[in-house]
Amino acid sequence: MKLGLAAAFLSATLLAGTASAADKRWDGADDLPVNPLACSAGEANAAPAARPYDGGRPTNAADKTGKPITLVDVPKLIGIGYFNATTKGMQDAAKALGNVTVKTDGPTEAKIDEQIKFIDNYITSGVDGILFAANDPVAIAPVLKKALSKGIHVVGYDANSTPDAREWFVNQAEFNGIAKAMMDSMAKEAGEDKSFAIVTSTFTTPNQARWIAEMWAYAQKCHPKLKWLETVEAQEDNNLSFNQATTLINKHGDKLAGLFGMTSVATPASAEAVTKAKLCGKVAVVGLATPNAMKPYVNADCVKSVVLWNPVDLGYAAIYVMRAVVDGKLKPGATSVEAGKLGQLNVVNGSEVLLGSPFIFTKQNIKDFDF
Amino acid sequence: MSAMSEIPLPQAAKRVVPWWLLRHETMLAAILLVALIVLGALNNRFLTLDNLLNQGRLTTEVGLIALPMTFIIITGGIDLSVGSIVGLCAILLGYSWKNLGFPLPLAIGFSLLVGAAAGFFNGIVITRVKVPPLIMTIATLALYRGLAEGISQARSVRGYPEWFYFIGQENLFGGPAQLWLFLIAIVVSAIVLDRTIFGRTLYAIGNNETAARFSSLPVDRVKLIIYTLSGLMAGLSACVLVSRVTTTRSDMGIGYELDVIAAVVLGGTSIFGGVGTIWGTVIGLAMIQLLKNGLALTGVKGDATIVVIGAVLILSTLVASSLQRRRDGV
Repeated sequence: MKLGLAAAFLSATLLAGTASAADKRWDGADDLPVNPLACSAGEANAAPAARPYDGGRPTNAADKTGKPITLVDVPKLIGIGYFNATTKGMQDAAKALGNVTVKTDGPTEAKIDEQIKFIDNYITSGVDGILFAANDPVAIAPVLKKALSKGIHVVGYDANSTPDAREWFVNQAEFNGIAKAMMDSMAKEAGEDKSFAIVTSTFTTPNQARWIAEMWAYAQKCHPKLKWLETVEAQEDNNLSFNQATTLINKHGDKLAGLFGMTSVATPASAEAVTKAKLCGKVAVVGLATPNAMKPYVNADCVKSVVLWNPVDLGYAAIYVMRAVVDGKLKPGATSVEAGKLGQLNVVNGSEVLLGSPFIFTKQNIKDFDF
Repeated sequence: MSAMSEIPLPQAAKRVVPWWLLRHETMLAAILLVALIVLGALNNRFLTLDNLLNQGRLTTEVGLIALPMTFIIITGGIDLSVGSIVGLCAILLGYSWKNLGFPLPLAIGFSLLVGAAAGFFNGIVITRVKVPPLIMTIATLALYRGLAEGISQARSVRGYPEWFYFIGQENLFGGPAQLWLFLIAIVVSAIVLDRTIFGRTLYAIGNNETAARFSSLPVDRVKLIIYTLSGLMAGLSACVLVSRVTTTRSDMGIGYELDVIAAVVLGGTSIFGGVGTIWGTVIGLAMIQLLKNGLALTGVKGDATIVVIGAVLILSTLVASSLQRRRDGV
């Protein structure tokens, strides 16, 4: 009797939990404003009004112009291909500059309070600058502000913090740019009035959430007939991503005409699921991924477009930006910064340095890339 | 006789060396002292008051949960759901404040209440339905995390009023505000465990539950109280955590259960029940936190740090258990 009661209570709470989770399409986290781009490429996007510098400033930073500096890089987590690539870019830049030492260290899981502890410890141990890719834009802010208050330079890349908690952010591609590239590819490949589903990492991962929010806004504006089925979580886990994609294919059957992969793990896994289900050509796969992981599927004509930027360049740019900040060459109000082999990078949104437009890998160009 | 004290023969040791010197806690404190000196010598920023107080700030959240966990493990139980309760309470604090329009103090009270209720639910099923604590709290580990994600819809809650950040970020009497909260919790827990009938009952249950029942000790009621307390403290920890990091996320507290249990067990509390002290847990906590911090400051990388912590855990457990055997003359 008591067991029955407990079981009933347990299942009731479980049902309540899942029901509340499934009652509406998930369209990206946070109630931050979205900014969808214009629909057609020909139609000029209104150039964003030049915003004044909105980043933070360090207090009494030591003058190290042209002198050797020691930096620490704290990415979301260490030990995955993506951040190994940014680390490589940073080491390349440090070598090219000659007067920069940079060490990458961080949590082995993408957890914000772990990341905060790492940054806190490096503030204590004393470095000239901190580079970060935030696990949460707001939660990371207090510890970054603490770094600034101790005269340490702070530059972000990959995933931003609130602007006033760092000096500059190196933006690999703007959220609305990625969203436009993804939705346009999907509409072209699957069809304007078809249904699609999304495989993402977790709902709490800031970049993925922002991309999906921008994709939703852009789709409403430019591809209103596309039907959003659902978004599923698959961590950054290869097996889970494959299983989730397979489940989506089985669940929605013929209705499903497209799959988005939001991570460099989910996209190849989704392509693999479509291949295994023998649905190449029937279910379009569009997603963010590194070219090496996608080459088999692109060459087999199962995937037509892969969206990304070059993470090695991202790390490279971050070090050049940091050096320019320390040397006083990148000051509030600057409109561009010199970044070695990447040339001049433009300043956008007040205090962000833009790496460039997102890049779309296709069968024609993917063989030229190796990362 | 004086020569005898230098020869560590088992039989002699039993008589000559004071009993407290061979306690697990004493040995651990000695190891901690050595670690402090070594790490301090390796990095001149480690043994600064500023750094040590900051470590106190960072360890409070795990520490608050480790105190009731010591009680639970002394009875031979375990609570694996604490990390998920932290997530659930953090989400409910933010959700009830932002979405349901509760005034923040009420939202704090509400989330503490839910924490206690979550622990009470663990306790009631464990004592009434006789589900083993390990099974029950694995189940609620998933259940409470699922609820947290379902309720939050993965939306973070931000922008709390400035006064709320006091407990997580400000200083009080020259130390981190939450450290005082933690110190009070330590003292109260230690007194309860050491000086009350309730505390003695915990040891009795852990040593022999059947005997405790035959001695007409209120076994089930005591268990219900400690699991509820565990939930409540996880709720309190969630409030401190949200206040420190300024944002509520549904993935908060993931993996806390392992940090907490590692500290408690390192502190000499036996996983089989019947043995353990609050002081041991506090030293265990300090040991793990200071090792992590000291190694990071000395330039050891994150993944290597975890390996060192694991090695230290095994080593100190080995040292302690061999001493224990010698003390018992086995």
